[in-house]
Amino acid sequence: MTKKETSAQWILLIAVFCIATCGLIYELVAGTLASYLLGDSVTQFSTIIGTYLFAMGIGSFLSKYFNSDILRWFIRIELLIGLIGGFSSALLFLFFPLVTSFRIILYLLVLVTGILVGLEIPLLMRILKDKIEFKDLVSKVFTFDYIGALLASVVFPLVLIPHLGLIRTSLFFGIINIAIGWYLAYYFAAQIKRAAVIKFTAILLLIIEVVAFVFSDNIMSYSESLAYRDNIVYATSSPYQRIVITKNKRELRLNLNGNLQFSSADEYRYHEALVHPALASVADLKHVLVLGGGDGLAVREVLKYPSVKKIKLVDLDATMTKLFSSQEILIRLNGASLQNKKVQIINEDAFLWLNANTEKFDAVVIDFPDPSNFSIGKLYSTMFYTLLKKVLNPDGVAVVQSTSPFVAPKSFWCINNTIQSAGFLQSHITIMFLPLVNGATSLQVLTPICIGLQLILPV
Amino acid sequence: MNRKEFIKNIFGVAAIAGIAGSCKDHRSNSIKGSIIGASSNIGHIIRDGKTTDSPSEIIKKDIVIVGGGISGLSAARHLQANGITNFLLLDLEKEVGGNAKSGKNTISAFPWGAHYIPVPNNNLTEYLDFLQECGVVKNINENTLPEYNEAYLCFNPEERLFINGQWQDGLIPHFGVPEKDTAQISAFLNKMNEYRYAVGADKKEAFAIPVNESSNDNAFTLLDTLTMQEWMLTNKFTSSYLHTYVNYCTRDDFGTPHNKISAWAGIHYFAARKGKAANATYSDVLTWPEGNGFLVNKLQAAILPQIKTSSLVTKITPQADKVLVAYFDVAANKNIIIEAAQCIVAVPQFIASRLLNDDERKAAVKKDFHYSPWMVANIKTNELKQKPGAPLSWDNVMYGSDSLGYIDATHQQLQVYKTKRNLTYYLPLCTKDPVTERKLAQNKTHADWVKLIMDDLKKVHADIETQTEEINVMIWGHAMIQPLPGYISGKSRAVLARSVNNNVHFAHTDIAGISIFEEAFYQGLNAAKKIIQQGIKNKG
Repeated sequence: MTKKETSAQWILLIAVFCIATCGLIYELVAGTLASYLLGDSVTQFSTIIGTYLFAMGIGSFLSKYFNSDILRWFIRIELLIGLIGGFSSALLFLFFPLVTSFRIILYLLVLVTGILVGLEIPLLMRILKDKIEFKDLVSKVFTFDYIGALLASVVFPLVLIPHLGLIRTSLFFGIINIAIGWYLAYYFAAQIKRAAVIKFTAILLLIIEVVAFVFSDNIMSYSESLAYRDNIVYATSSPYQRIVITKNKRELRLNLNGNLQFSSADEYRYHEALVHPALASVADLKHVLVLGGGDGLAVREVLKYPSVKKIKLVDLDATMTKLFSSQEILIRLNGASLQNKKVQIINEDAFLWLNANTEKFDAVVIDFPDPSNFSIGKLYSTMFYTLLKKVLNPDGVAVVQSTSPFVAPKSFWCINNTIQSAGFLQSHITIMFLPLVNGATSLQVLTPICIGLQLILPV
Repeated sequence: MNRKEFIKNIFGVAAIAGIAGSCKDHRSNSIKGSIIGASSNIGHIIRDGKTTDSPSEIIKKDIVIVGGGISGLSAARHLQANGITNFLLLDLEKEVGGNAKSGKNTISAFPWGAHYIPVPNNNLTEYLDFLQECGVVKNINENTLPEYNEAYLCFNPEERLFINGQWQDGLIPHFGVPEKDTAQISAFLNKMNEYRYAVGADKKEAFAIPVNESSNDNAFTLLDTLTMQEWMLTNKFTSSYLHTYVNYCTRDDFGTPHNKISAWAGIHYFAARKGKAANATYSDVLTWPEGNGFLVNKLQAAILPQIKTSSLVTKITPQADKVLVAYFDVAANKNIIIEAAQCIVAVPQFIASRLLNDDERKAAVKKDFHYSPWMVANIKTNELKQKPGAPLSWDNVMYGSDSLGYIDATHQQLQVYKTKRNLTYYLPLCTKDPVTERKLAQNKTHADWVKLIMDDLKKVHADIETQTEEINVMIWGHAMIQPLPGYISGKSRAVLARSVNNNVHFAHTDIAGISIFEEAFYQGLNAAKKIIQQGIKNKG
């Protein structure tokens, strides 16, 4: 055996070692990522490992169809693994918020990586079969393979994840895969056809992955910003809810517990419709009660009536009312309505406050969240509307946000029946088809949402 | 879960398995609280012989009412309403209420026993009048149906059952229950519905409230000769799901398992409720954070000056024209005798027989009167982790548990957001016979009860040990009468219910047959009526 052949043999065996390390890393990355994003780590790890090993079997089976230029194929596969494996976690992070069938993409990626990794060892053994005696070959290849696996399993949790994070870890091993491919193409240039093309491809991929490695933080934050598609300018948790305000060039949005409450671009449509038909119908409008609506936007509309002397705003969440009376950008939105001298802010439970209250009002504006659970449901009960009747002056009027008769007709009519059973003589229903920004999709498209408002007149 | 947490959890499981119960005990011990009530200190006064001192005072009253449970309070209220005010109501405890006693902390009021009333039957006029007086009935509509105050009708979600790993809506088992069992359950409920509207040959309701108004038709009274379990098996009701459900029901209402309770009483539980209302049905219930403590306060509102608590009656001596009632005033530390024209004994017969020192009565009580012991605990807790299925409800029951689960005392609060709750946990002590259970209960420490409760509730709230701030426990040695076969239709309770000497009258749910609010209300009312009628006679 010549010296050159011995060193070639060692280079290939070191390649086995690196390949094995990379192979296991991709598997661990997929497993961890699935646990992070989907939860239930036992299931995720079991199914990912199972799929990966099965895919490796497919790769081994397919290896028999590679009959010529095996070394060239081997290097190409190296580069392909480097590309797919390297970008695997970045891709998964980016896809997660965007697609509904995330699992399909996850397992497809695991399957492809597994097949490619499964091709490696059989092809390599065939490359080396004429260079080393068979029993030595098997012994050496598998020794390096398993040592590589050991190294991967130790450095992955102890070094890589804490220091590099998931996206950089997979990119780092992608770079190693591609570097090996490039080095093999360089070293065995004489034995492969069109080595220059492969070397060029390898260098190109290397550059791409290094750039991605450097800018991986941006990928991460971009991925997170896809959940809220705009920049988060303010986020806080009150004892009652998670308050998140996002902003883009065009608009400001308020999200409570992940549900869009309003967009500054079109909230006026909702708040004008909520307030004006009701208030304009009151002849002698002096005292107004606003229940809910800690953002001060309904109050802003109420303040447009010069005859109004006093507004009481009852909103449970002091964090909300403080936020909307102290942050410059939000004050601009509600026209400093919450600082107006006519406005008194009461941070109490609306039901309890109403129960204890003895004052009468000319108009009541009710802007509660949709009755999506039993406790909020109490705010839409006969009892609540009976209390409401007590606080209204004989000529007064109340208006109730009562969900969308388009999306939730049952809720809408249920609220309507409840209001009538509480003894309100007439319940004029104003159904307004309000084009509002749809918070449910990530597309910048205006879709019509219908919000039902119920005007209530006492007996 | 990330990798780190996953590994931590695996180690956690191993550690718990390794250290076994020791660390869990430690945690349970750190939950504060105590065993409350059962005025044993007052009881000890008799034991220590202090009451044998000669009386330091003799006072005169028209009427003495002994016992301030619902029966006694109802009697007092009825006397007062009829212009008879020269009476005194004596109770051993610091506060009246009996089984409807309640407590209070910074979060809410909570019950210590009876915690709801079902929508009343419409023939109970006096009872409905009382409820209207309390604002529970808002008005009677044009069809003469009562309209209940919505604040007191139990809010949704009312009940849930933890079964087959999930909370289902309602208490009748259906989640994961095989079809043949659900078929049996609905056949059983249909049968109960037949009994609900059944009428005997004597034209009386088969199952009425009060029990004494029920038909004497053999077709129904024969049901009092066998147990509920025996009746079910003879009627081909074999489903284990159905048996577990019925056993839950009889333990809930009588503190007695279905293999001991009379079938008549067991069926009465299902068939006696037939109330109609403008805004509710017979299966609905009325409840308050403090449970029936709400009604206690309404009952005593007009008679507060005539109530004397911390007063231990030691002897009742009926004479030809008067009754002598001896009692020990704990606050003043002295013995007093009241000379009264009439006396209403509104305590259970096992006490009444001792106060009257009547050997025949004592023997009859020993032979026929059995009372079930209960443990009730109030758990002050932060929000708990929930298993999948139906959300936290007013009544939360675990299928197959020895306990009856818990009710959320904060359920009727109006506010939308709650961070802390009072959960009232009910455990009828009926695995063994009442005497043995009473002894076992007396020997248990606060830590023992806490461990028992936590072990039961951990199945449905994994974090309950860390979220619980306080548990207070009350043991009811003789919580309620057990209508075993032969008790309702037997002679004993009718004989003991008879007035003695025309001036000592009895009012209690044990002689009524079953322990429910309506029975107590009418026991008191009827005893008061006996006195009122005599008064009219005397005047005439």
